[in-house]
Amino acid sequence: MTTPSGVDAAGQSPQELPGANATGTLTDTKVGGGLGRYALRSCLTALGTLAFILVFNFFLFRMLPGDPSQLYRGRNADPQQLAELRRQFNAPLVSQFLHYLRNPLGLGSQSYLRSQPVWSVIAAHIWPTLILLGTATTVSAVVGVWIGIRSGWQRGSRFDKGATGMTLALWGVPEFWLGMMLLILFASGAPFLSIFPTGGFRDAGIAPFSVQGVLNVAWHLVLPATALAFVYIAEYSLIMRSSIVDETGQDYLTTGRAYGLMDRQVRRRHAVPNASLPTITLIFLNVGFIISGAVTVEYVFSWPGLGQLTVEAIHGPDIPLLEALFLLFTISVLIATTLADIVVAARDPRIRT
Amino acid sequence: MRRSRVVGAVMAGLVTIGVAGVGVAAADSATPTPSTSAGGTGQVIFNVGTMQNPDSLNPFTGVAATSYEMWALMYDTLTQYSAKDFSVAPGLASAWQESPDHSTWTYTIRSGQKWSDGVPLTAHDVAYTFNRIINGQYEKTNYGSYVRTITKVTAPNDTTVIMTVKRPSPIMLHLGVPILPEHIWKNIDEAEVKKFANTPDVEGGAVGSGSFKLVEARDEQSYSLVANPDYWAGAPHIDGVTYVIFKNQEALGLALVSGAVDFADGIDTSEFRALDGKPGVTTRASDYYEFEYITMNGGAALADGTPIGDGHPALKDPRVRLAIDYATDKQTLVDRVFGGHGTTGTTVIPPLYPYHYEPTDIRPFDIAKANQILDDAGYQRGADGIRVMPAGGPDPGRPLEFRLYGRDTSTTSKKTVQFEASWLQQIGIKADVKIVSEDYLYDVAGQGKFDMYEWDWIPEPDPDSQLSVFTCAKRSYKDGGAIYANLSDSFYCNKNYDALYDQQSVQTDVTERTATVQQAQKMLYDDAPYIVTVYPNYLQAYRSDRFTDFTPQPSPGGAVLFQWGAYSYLSIRPVTAAETTSGGGSSPALFVGLAALAAAVVVGVVVMARRRAGGSDDVE
Repeated sequence: MTTPSGVDAAGQSPQELPGANATGTLTDTKVGGGLGRYALRSCLTALGTLAFILVFNFFLFRMLPGDPSQLYRGRNADPQQLAELRRQFNAPLVSQFLHYLRNPLGLGSQSYLRSQPVWSVIAAHIWPTLILLGTATTVSAVVGVWIGIRSGWQRGSRFDKGATGMTLALWGVPEFWLGMMLLILFASGAPFLSIFPTGGFRDAGIAPFSVQGVLNVAWHLVLPATALAFVYIAEYSLIMRSSIVDETGQDYLTTGRAYGLMDRQVRRRHAVPNASLPTITLIFLNVGFIISGAVTVEYVFSWPGLGQLTVEAIHGPDIPLLEALFLLFTISVLIATTLADIVVAARDPRIRT
Repeated sequence: MRRSRVVGAVMAGLVTIGVAGVGVAAADSATPTPSTSAGGTGQVIFNVGTMQNPDSLNPFTGVAATSYEMWALMYDTLTQYSAKDFSVAPGLASAWQESPDHSTWTYTIRSGQKWSDGVPLTAHDVAYTFNRIINGQYEKTNYGSYVRTITKVTAPNDTTVIMTVKRPSPIMLHLGVPILPEHIWKNIDEAEVKKFANTPDVEGGAVGSGSFKLVEARDEQSYSLVANPDYWAGAPHIDGVTYVIFKNQEALGLALVSGAVDFADGIDTSEFRALDGKPGVTTRASDYYEFEYITMNGGAALADGTPIGDGHPALKDPRVRLAIDYATDKQTLVDRVFGGHGTTGTTVIPPLYPYHYEPTDIRPFDIAKANQILDDAGYQRGADGIRVMPAGGPDPGRPLEFRLYGRDTSTTSKKTVQFEASWLQQIGIKADVKIVSEDYLYDVAGQGKFDMYEWDWIPEPDPDSQLSVFTCAKRSYKDGGAIYANLSDSFYCNKNYDALYDQQSVQTDVTERTATVQQAQKMLYDDAPYIVTVYPNYLQAYRSDRFTDFTPQPSPGGAVLFQWGAYSYLSIRPVTAAETTSGGGSSPALFVGLAALAAAVVVGVVVMARRRAGGSDDVE
């Protein structure tokens, strides 16, 4: 038990623990090549998964109930016109599949709902989602990890009790409820407090790439990003705290202290790197899900992101748009998990097997 | 030493938020409460909050109500439905004349009109638009029914359009086709037109002749239009209209209260109640042209009469349908499902339209009478109290057990079917209530695989399309082996009714046509293919402390926005005297103060954390 942990810690920062240095260096050279092979293997697995997804993507949305030509219900459409549309929508599955295989990425295919190429519809919605979830993730990762380290290291302290209590409470709060509360508090026109907008991404008539445009987006971003970040903070800090608590009793920390390292050095150089693996995995996974959007928060704040677009596309159903969205989501999750694999393996050689 | 870097990172993060906050204060002061009746910029923008994003601004493509609302501002039609009572009123055509032999219509186009890009608008643009639809395939999607009887459209000069029709046609008074600029659309061929976005940022996009011009379109965010001061009906009294898209009712309500929007469209009962009595806000439950109904599968068949589906045979018996109508307490639905915002339903043309027929013998809610009808018709109750099919007919002894579907997207639909099931129980009919998606319902409706379900229609002022729903020809049809829904979802088929429908479709005299249309409605009321349950009100709310002089359609009880036309946009004025818009205006100074307070708290926390950390370092 002692040796592997010691080796591992040494692997991270060999210069700090001279006693374990020899083993550390040995391990390092051995795994240097291993990491490359491991990364390659991860990427190949990801490609295999992608191939499966492409096929699955086709069949998944053809199983949805509903006749896309009913999008034209209530229009003054000609019956021949409808029949023509339907012939496109309801071609035999095999010929649809062959057609799909020629262009699995849906390049140039039209959204039924918007009558625009699917990727340009997505492009219009991707920035709000990236901005919202990017901000929320960054803020929550930094703050959450910091709180987690602090409370884990000082388990049982007043800071720990306060922080853990609060994060547990936040963890239990649904995002949309928190969002609604923020809206009522800061956007309802109540005197003095009403300083944020009730929703949306940017006010009409403001150029997107001007200083004013950026500030306007930031102004709209505060409440939704806060609502989301609170929940993520809870997640990251709780995980980080428990990993730190797991490490605090380890012998290699005692060894470190025996070498005369200060407590904060022990924590920073040895405990935190080892404890951070689960949190890193989690952050990467969340980055993968970023793109699929936080539907409920987007709903509360009328945020024009991908989550809203997906919900809209399911009613219809707008199959080309759904296919493209699903592809985007799965690819982003794939990339994120593959990256997480590689990063974690780089930090912890034990994983590369 | 290194520990301070973590704290540094955290502080950097917090400082960023703080800076963002101050930035916000700046942004806030830069755009003083977005909306503004008497705002510092001097521009009067009317901000309309709506729950529906326009699906496309291309008049050949879009289908959403918001799209139609914007086209009403961006484009002209030949004639309009009047604000007072939906009668025909002048539009781009100042006059029109049907030839005595009913074979041609001549429209006089206003002279001196210009497109928003400065090019003159003439009768040739009108002819171009109609010919494009007549000769096009895709172009017929939205306007096919208007041009069905038109064979030829010509423009002999700049102010005259002549249309030749196959047969006399009342729709010629109400051609709801937006007139498009030929010099733009002639460059967009049939393949291109399907994806033409018609927004200001595409070449040739959004060129119109209406009272407003679209200047900015942001999908799912906002759409801005500016007034056309040269409009033929007079310049609007506001400088522009901005539609802001909301995704939830509560946020829309808050935006109205805070002043971020001036108008909240299409809100639900609970939000309506929440907004009622808020300072500066006027709520308005308007008469509307929607009706809710429960349809009954009166014998599903294809248009040629081939039976399809698996509807319960009892519903083919008009006496059973009438009994169900007697057993439906419409007033309770109005009160408890629609919160009192609506009126009890009778016929399929809503009462605010002049073509409406109000039955003289309205069937009241009467459980005893319903039971009496069923008893007399021979539907005896079984041991469990459920009635069974009489002997001698189809399926003798089969219990009267009906599938009753409600829609998952509509709370009122869900509640209505629950009430209906309890009433059916009282007349010995068992209802299996199931809440399903509209997609699913549309499928089973077309196949005739249902007994009863709840849905709604929003009829046009012209009765033709709504009446056609009950003709034999609009029953389902086969296409390549599969069965598809047409408009009929009751499968009502009555030769006498079809004759009335055909008759009204060639009557160009409004009085004569009204008589025929009312006769057709009476026939439907007596045969009861539908139970028309409720005419719901349209719920709107607006800042009456900022804008006034809305024009309801019809007068006086109709909706003030989302009408057939753009009347309110042309009549509203900002409230000038005693301006009291303070709600949303947050003072930047206050904001900076708050930001400073937050910063102080943050610094305090960090310092404390530092000291505590320092302390524990020493101890350990």
